[in-house]
Amino acid sequence: MATNDRAAVATGTEAGDAARRRNVASSEPLQSGTIIKPDAEDTKKAAKKSPSILQVLDEWEWVISPLIFTALAFFTRFYKIGLSPIVTWDEAQSVHLSSTGLGDYFGKFGSHYLKREFYFDVHATVKPPAGKLLVGLSGYLAGYNGSFEFKSGETYPPEVNYTFMRQFNAFWGAVCVPMAYWTAKELNFRRSAVWLVTLMVLCENSYTTISRFILLDSMLLFGTVLTTLCWAKFHSQRRNSFDPEWFFWLFMTGLSIGFVCSVKLVGLFVTALVGLYTIEDLWNKFGDTKLPVTELAAHFVARVLGLIVLPFLIYLLSFAIHFAVLTNTGPGDAQMSSLFQANLRGTEVGRNSPLEVALGSRVTIKNMGYGGGLLHSHVQTFPEGSGQQQVTCYHHKDANNDWFFYPNRRDEDYNAEADPRFIGNNDVIRLIHAQTGRNLHSHEIAAPITKADKEVSCYGNLTVGDDKDHWKIEVISDAASRDRSKIRTLTTGFRLKHEVLGCYLRAGNVNLPQWGFKQIEVTCTKENKPRDTYTHWNIESHTNEKLPPGDPGQYKSPFLKDFIHLNVAMMTSNNALVPDPDKQDDLASQWWQWPILNVGLRMCSWDDKITKYFLLGNPLVYWGSTAGLGIFATLVAWYVLRWQRGFRELSQNDIDQIHYAGIYPVIGWFLHYLPFVVMARVTYVHHYYPALYFAILTFGFLADWFLRNQKKAIQYSIYAVLDATVIGLYIYFMPICWGMTGSNKKYSYMKWFDSWRMSDA
Amino acid sequence: MAATSTPQGSLRQRNVGGSSKKIKDGAASDVELDKFPKAGAAKSGPAGSDRDYKVVFAFITAMAFLTRFWGISHPNEVVFDEVHFGKFASYYLEKTYFFDVHPPFGKLLFAFMGWLVGYDGHFHFDNIGDSYIANKVPYVAFRSLPAILGALTVSVVYMIMWESGYSLPACVVAAGLVLLDNAHIGQTRLILLDATLVFAMACSLLFYIKFYKLRHEPFSRKWWKWLILTGFALSCDISTKYVGLFAFITIGSAVIIDLWDLLNIKRPGGALSLPDFSKHFAARAFGLIIMPFIFYLFWFQVHFAILTRSGPGDDFMTPEFQETLSDNVMLANAITIDYYDTIVLKHKETKAYLHSHPDRYPLRYDDGRVSSQGQQVTGYPYNDTNNHWEILPSVNDDHKLGRHVKNHDLVRLRHVVTNTYLLSHDVASPYYPTNQEFTTVAETDAFGDRAPDTLFEVRIENGKTNQEFKTVSSHFKFIHNPSKVAMWTHTTPLPDWAFKQQEINGNKQITPSSNIWLVEDIPSLPADHRRRQKEQKQVKTLPFMRKWFELQRSMFWHNNQLTSSHPYASLPYQWPFLLRGVSFWTQNDTRQQIYFLGNPIGWWVASSVLAIYAGIILADQFSLRRGIDALDHRSRSRLYNSTGFFFLAWATHYFPFFVMGRQLFLHHYLPAHLASTLVTGALVEFVFSADSAENEAAYQAIRAGKKPATSAGVKRHVSARERFAGQSMMASWIATILILSIVFAGWYFFLPLTYGYPGLSVDQVLRRKWLGYDLHFAK
Repeated sequence: MATNDRAAVATGTEAGDAARRRNVASSEPLQSGTIIKPDAEDTKKAAKKSPSILQVLDEWEWVISPLIFTALAFFTRFYKIGLSPIVTWDEAQSVHLSSTGLGDYFGKFGSHYLKREFYFDVHATVKPPAGKLLVGLSGYLAGYNGSFEFKSGETYPPEVNYTFMRQFNAFWGAVCVPMAYWTAKELNFRRSAVWLVTLMVLCENSYTTISRFILLDSMLLFGTVLTTLCWAKFHSQRRNSFDPEWFFWLFMTGLSIGFVCSVKLVGLFVTALVGLYTIEDLWNKFGDTKLPVTELAAHFVARVLGLIVLPFLIYLLSFAIHFAVLTNTGPGDAQMSSLFQANLRGTEVGRNSPLEVALGSRVTIKNMGYGGGLLHSHVQTFPEGSGQQQVTCYHHKDANNDWFFYPNRRDEDYNAEADPRFIGNNDVIRLIHAQTGRNLHSHEIAAPITKADKEVSCYGNLTVGDDKDHWKIEVISDAASRDRSKIRTLTTGFRLKHEVLGCYLRAGNVNLPQWGFKQIEVTCTKENKPRDTYTHWNIESHTNEKLPPGDPGQYKSPFLKDFIHLNVAMMTSNNALVPDPDKQDDLASQWWQWPILNVGLRMCSWDDKITKYFLLGNPLVYWGSTAGLGIFATLVAWYVLRWQRGFRELSQNDIDQIHYAGIYPVIGWFLHYLPFVVMARVTYVHHYYPALYFAILTFGFLADWFLRNQKKAIQYSIYAVLDATVIGLYIYFMPICWGMTGSNKKYSYMKWFDSWRMSDA
Repeated sequence: MAATSTPQGSLRQRNVGGSSKKIKDGAASDVELDKFPKAGAAKSGPAGSDRDYKVVFAFITAMAFLTRFWGISHPNEVVFDEVHFGKFASYYLEKTYFFDVHPPFGKLLFAFMGWLVGYDGHFHFDNIGDSYIANKVPYVAFRSLPAILGALTVSVVYMIMWESGYSLPACVVAAGLVLLDNAHIGQTRLILLDATLVFAMACSLLFYIKFYKLRHEPFSRKWWKWLILTGFALSCDISTKYVGLFAFITIGSAVIIDLWDLLNIKRPGGALSLPDFSKHFAARAFGLIIMPFIFYLFWFQVHFAILTRSGPGDDFMTPEFQETLSDNVMLANAITIDYYDTIVLKHKETKAYLHSHPDRYPLRYDDGRVSSQGQQVTGYPYNDTNNHWEILPSVNDDHKLGRHVKNHDLVRLRHVVTNTYLLSHDVASPYYPTNQEFTTVAETDAFGDRAPDTLFEVRIENGKTNQEFKTVSSHFKFIHNPSKVAMWTHTTPLPDWAFKQQEINGNKQITPSSNIWLVEDIPSLPADHRRRQKEQKQVKTLPFMRKWFELQRSMFWHNNQLTSSHPYASLPYQWPFLLRGVSFWTQNDTRQQIYFLGNPIGWWVASSVLAIYAGIILADQFSLRRGIDALDHRSRSRLYNSTGFFFLAWATHYFPFFVMGRQLFLHHYLPAHLASTLVTGALVEFVFSADSAENEAAYQAIRAGKKPATSAGVKRHVSARERFAGQSMMASWIATILILSIVFAGWYFFLPLTYGYPGLSVDQVLRRKWLGYDLHFAK
């Protein structure tokens, strides 16, 4: 066995080297036969005549194959793409997000969307904006004006050119196929293995289906595949450091990382793959004592620029565009700072508000922490603790957020006729809830959730009450002025200190249970931390008839601050982790179900009248790639154990091939898969798609590794069987991608397992 | 591979140059550990040195017992989780079945202690603060068990360092950090499981080191002894709490590295044949996996053997399981309920019966909301004919008798006395605007236009479809069919208009166990009715494995449910910095409190040393990579292998908590803290004493001389005494004394919070609020 292997390796190495010298090298007669699969019998004859068609084909394979694959990809992804005029699955969400952008952009229809109760509001969705902007762009190109309310299952109105929007998305999915071809080539797979990998991506039903709708996943897939390609290209340039081509691929890698991270945060996983590679690469260079230190530093700096700074700038840019497009007020406003809101078109915030706040002013008070809401109260009482009226923090804007500034009880009573008395730093005031007339109050009772803090409630009225209704204003910052003798709308950040207890009013993004309607708990905290932004508050809206209207919104909120604010809100948003009750839960699936293709996903209702799409993969691709991962692990364990026992059967080239074309894809698979195992959030089958790509590459590696030194006949037959099965299964399952019309009973032939619910039969 | 560029210098740690790849492995493997053990070494040094170790050992052990036992009888009240573990011991002594998420070993030990002193388990540790004196509980005996184990833990730490060949100062630092640690003391003076856990964990490290030192005499009697003992310690660890699994990871990683070296064809001791290797592998698999698992099962067998009587844990188990418990009233009396039976429904949590009477809800409540003015439905704790309800099928079946009610059946309930039907609808209940009102309607309505609203589903807890609905044994939720609310009640009494009876309402949250009801009896059946006749039930038996599987599943399931928040829960990142503790017990009159907290100084020293260790390793790797070799081979080997093992123990006992979803407390860090003190001791030696240059020169000479007499060169064990022969240990001793004196100061300062004595004035409390610790009596 060992000797066999060794002999085999010797030739294999040469072949590997030849392959690396690009496909042209394969024009040697000896090689050509091994690589061209079809018409294998004719090869010998053809080789003798000098410029036969086959030789030409062979020579131009690097152009012809990608062209054919791309054409097929576009066909499979575009064919009958507009068949279903129905908003399918998450199209509702992605299109809505983009349409809000559009609507705002055009300004005419903005108000249209605002009425809608949307679960994920625009500003606080967990996805960065690039993907949504692109969908928005496609809508813009399609002439869609953003006036249509998207709800899953509704029919598109005639004026929406949804076909174009879908084609726009399908484009990203289709170009993954030639990129897979080039990636496989770059990983030194031989031609048959390259074709196999490309076919597996092309004939992957789930990739096909997901690309055909207005979803962000095709862009995510595109970004992942592109990043892998750029990484592989960059890796093969490793001996040409600082050449233009080396730089080109370095920056291309950075560019695609920036793109993929701006589409979905899942892009961070492929970034981690490139990061690991870079660390290993630098570590190797660091150990090379012959390398001049300056060159080492240059390597380091180039990578920091290309792989960290550049992607970050792109990410930043996507937000800059996001803010530039979304200039109108919308439902996500409340997540952002008051000052940011004041700069949105059509907002109430800051409009005609008097600048300075006086006693008797009616205000809403905004928490300045990330994702902070408005100070809120309602008639419902605490079920425990004092049993007094609840005080919470709430993002939705309604009259229960309104408070009156009143003088404290020692002071003379508020007189509506007298001249306004302004409020400033260190003034002691009362806050009266406008709807119920009760005072903001705190006392020696533990808060309902954060037990270490004191409960804050609403208690008494104008006359009933005590000095536990007194709050002292401590100004923290003012974006507009150094003068702290007056509180200004929007610009002044202040803390409210309870006079008796000495604690500070705080809303720390802790949600109350159902009895508090899941609103944010408001407490009074003993800890005096001036930098704790959750204790900072500012006046958001302000009305006082006796004061002249001003325009406090003229102060701009700086871009970087908005960027950080939005990102922190995105990351800390509970929405990302908690099951979304609005989504049908029977669609969700678990991580262990994906690699074994245990479940599919119904993308629309299963009515006989509508065209149905089912999200399910090509069984061979899924099962094969999953088995491949196990085989690969065994293979590596085998070689490592034998190595420890003193067998030296692998050449350096073989080791490199396993290392870069085998181990890195497997690491990529782990990086894209494990987070979903650990994460407690609701997961769906399409979360596996980026991981699947790496599993396919691993499968390609194994096919290449095991077959490269076999007899040609064996190679051909195995590749032929694999290719034919992949294609056959793809066609067999085609209806689930291109749309199943009529009764779903017709399609029961595809229902191999009960969990594949493409048919009710 | 990358290693080709590695400079020669780093090869020095390997005695056989050979392949260049091994540098990394060599760093991680324990090849060199054996250079230091005393075993086999001729006692060449002065005998007095060994005596030093023994004298100090005796002293530290004595101090450990003193610190753990001092004032152990205070407080004479139930403290914190003693509520649970004391209670479980009582259940064992009463042999009544109970359920807990922890495996039985630690609790069995407490029961054993109670049995030894002849306690009968009459007290059930119901509330924190209950008096032990008044209840006549031998609590000092209970507490002395963890105190003994806690004291011995200090000794074990000392022995780990000693066995690993560290110098005396290193041993003293490591043991001293545990000795003077308020968290270890606090946790091991009370009836809690952690003393057992930490002790078992420390023992597993010690025994493994003992085992590892014997690897040149594989399969000898002693070798087997320590292997088995390691496995036993591991088994005790995991049989106490499931976090004991981490010790398996620690030892497992070391074993894998060891096996990897055994597999090496160029192994210093000569290559092992594959059959020999398989023997090594099989022995470890047996000693460290199979045997511990058998022990683990054994404790469960003991658990089942003791708990033969029905008790509070019955409800967690399936009826089949419950049938194995004697005098299980519940199953003996269970009668299958038929349609048209008159039943009495009882709320499991508040013990109130579902009740109704002709009075109606008032039109308007005090807070201004309005009711339906329907007939009141309340919860009433006493027997009354108004508690009688007839259970009817959802469809008219012409009063066919003898049909059993099944799980998930839709039923109606007729209030027998008023001849009205139970109903719920979208009207807010008297107290809960969010919950639905329950009322009754007349027959015409109930089968007329209100018909759907009178339908309820019987949903038996953990029931199977078509399971029969039985009295007493079927715990069920009563779900209003159209609106999917669960019938629920709570203890706040309604106002006078409802005679202070309990409110019944429809709870939108179906999951909580407070929604559970049971049918207490069927009053319509005469006492001598045929259906009541049951043959005397024999206590059944079930195969052990089946019982074990069922219990194990149930334990894991409930363990995962422990996600609710606790006011003193903390997060893993807070532990090494000791950002907060746990309030265990307070007494207002004397201003005494027990606040579970480590010794901040000791913890900060240990945690910063961990960082220093990581820094040293990183710096060494980086400089090696650039061809700079700053360490002599022995220090490096010690740093990577022995200290590395301690560091690994710390990491494997700490980082897994970050991915754990359940609520966590400071005491979860104790095993990791113990490992961190080992690292601290080792690093004190590394920093403050250098290996003698003589050794290094000799070593280099041996290396230069190609094939040395391996048996002499490699296997010669060098004790700390030899290593530091003729070298001044002054620096080490000064560092040790410095560290231990500030640690002592920290320990002494926080002592009142650990021992709960004496009470502190406001000022004294405030001075101890170092990182804003949430102490009581701060004003």
